[in-house]
Amino acid sequence: MASIQLDELSFRYPGAVEDTLAPLSLNVADGTAFSLLGASGAGKTTLLNLLSGLLMPTSGRIFFDAHEVSTLAGRQRNVAQVFQFPVLYESMSVSENLAFPLRARKFDPGWIRQRVERIAAELEITQQLPLVAAQLSLFQKQLVAIGRALVRPDVSVVLLDEPLTAVEPRMKWRLRQTLRRVQEELGVTMIYVTHDQTEALTFADQVAVMADGGLLQVGTPEQIYSTPSHEFVGYFIGSPGMNFVAVEHLAQPLELLPNTCRVGFRPEWAELCADEDGQLRGAVRSMQLTGTHGGIATGVVRIDMTAGEIAVRGRLEVDIGQSVGVHLQHHLCYSEQGRLLTTHDE
Amino acid sequence: MNKPYNNKAWLGVLPVLLIVAFSGVVPLMTVVNYSVQDILDFNSRFFVGFQWYSETLQDARFIEAFLRQLGFSASVLIIEIPLGLMLARGMPRQGLSASLLLVLLAIPLLIPWNVVGTIWQLYARSDIGLLGVGLNALGFGYNYTADPIHAWLTLLAMDVWHWTSLVALLAFAGLTSVPTAYYQAAELDGASKWQVFRYVELPRLKGVLVIAVLLRLMDSFMIYTEPFVLTGGGPGNATTFLSQHLATMAVGQFDLGPAAAFSVIYFLFILLFCWIFYSSVVREND
Repeated sequence: MASIQLDELSFRYPGAVEDTLAPLSLNVADGTAFSLLGASGAGKTTLLNLLSGLLMPTSGRIFFDAHEVSTLAGRQRNVAQVFQFPVLYESMSVSENLAFPLRARKFDPGWIRQRVERIAAELEITQQLPLVAAQLSLFQKQLVAIGRALVRPDVSVVLLDEPLTAVEPRMKWRLRQTLRRVQEELGVTMIYVTHDQTEALTFADQVAVMADGGLLQVGTPEQIYSTPSHEFVGYFIGSPGMNFVAVEHLAQPLELLPNTCRVGFRPEWAELCADEDGQLRGAVRSMQLTGTHGGIATGVVRIDMTAGEIAVRGRLEVDIGQSVGVHLQHHLCYSEQGRLLTTHDE
Repeated sequence: MNKPYNNKAWLGVLPVLLIVAFSGVVPLMTVVNYSVQDILDFNSRFFVGFQWYSETLQDARFIEAFLRQLGFSASVLIIEIPLGLMLARGMPRQGLSASLLLVLLAIPLLIPWNVVGTIWQLYARSDIGLLGVGLNALGFGYNYTADPIHAWLTLLAMDVWHWTSLVALLAFAGLTSVPTAYYQAAELDGASKWQVFRYVELPRLKGVLVIAVLLRLMDSFMIYTEPFVLTGGGPGNATTFLSQHLATMAVGQFDLGPAAAFSVIYFLFILLFCWIFYSSVVREND
């Protein structure tokens, strides 16, 4: 396993006007479960292809540990990849599939057998070992594909490109748990590309949020959720996403940092109050029940304000159309460019 | 649950039955009918049972033509299938060059059989043909009208020229259906070029290769026009294949009974080969 370092890495398709990937730098520590999160078109897959050697960077460098691998072909980089759909050697049995990368690299046959059994046990597919790959279910096939990526002990990083896309919903959770457990047990460096925030936040130690070919924020799921460094991150993560209100629409003063243009708050950082008390005022547009708390219905209340719609999480003790106030218990300040302002900026 | 039965649906199949009957079954049965009779003229014919069949199977000329035919079809398959595969693998998968190559490959397939024969007849002539004159200038003493081996090789070259494209096009279609992720995975696994072919491409080419082998087997087994134009079955009988032998019997000598028996045997052989080949491949799949 290895740590990964990207140094001002960029990529532009030949003939294109704009960079698909703007120059970005990133460090991934050895043995980290790392997730690249972003909408489609954000450049996640391009970054992954640069790491796997399918694409060569236009500029910048890639290091695995201290070794520069920027211009090496895929087979020389010691990376393994799991794709959106299960990619297997369909005419081979499961055990042959798992052994294939090891045989291609001339490991000792006895050791290969042990290793294949170990990985199969980790992924709970020991019973399927003698079956031909074509006979498996989609879920099992993807498990085998993951197994083939994990089987090599010398691999620097395992890349996963939306590996749960083809798996049915009730199996997604199980596969993600398995993946996470195996990642920890084997200490593998994993880079997991997804557009699904739940997958990213529950799988990864570190999450990088990407948009328009650049990195917006890198941090733990906790940091990304509670202090989004950019409005896009706040809006993209969370369901519903973060609310942003321009300061001129505040009905009552709030403690603000200099240069604040908008305040941002998560739906659960606010509570409904009497009309005249809140920093924000509006009329209830809709309510969505998500559960009960102490016998009282709770959920998401959407409120129409003159400046747009906001969402507040809490008790559903209001009526549609009713005028309400919103009291902010906690908020963050954002600049005109949508960047998070902190006290250090002063 | 009770299934509703509606026998009127059978009426829908009727047109197909009629077409198949008139295009296939009726002509075939006519041949079967001929094959058990000795036909002297329209009014005098009499039943001879399986006499023509046993005579045909013991006929030395039939057996020779049959063995020649087997040799020819086997050579055609051994050369054209690997060659077509290699061509398809060597082709770019997309872009202008791919389109141009596809058009180029399709050209031999668009030329009528007898024209192919004529082209090669002229091309290989040792007095004016480019190939014939060229080979002789290199000192090979090439003359396909006199030397049986030369005639054979010329015929084989012609068939390879004419039909390898078909195999290549089928294989190309099969190869384009392999998702790029499979190649990428094999690259990262460190697979050799042979392993990529054997484990990534070949399993996905199986279907089209079965079709290619069947088509080439049936077609080469029935080859008639090109040798007829190129060599006329000669020199001697060196390139007289089954259908040419049959045509001589039926049209040249008007031996309708033996020719019909020959046809039925011929038909059953093709059916048998295809069945053996197809069922062996399909069984392996299950």
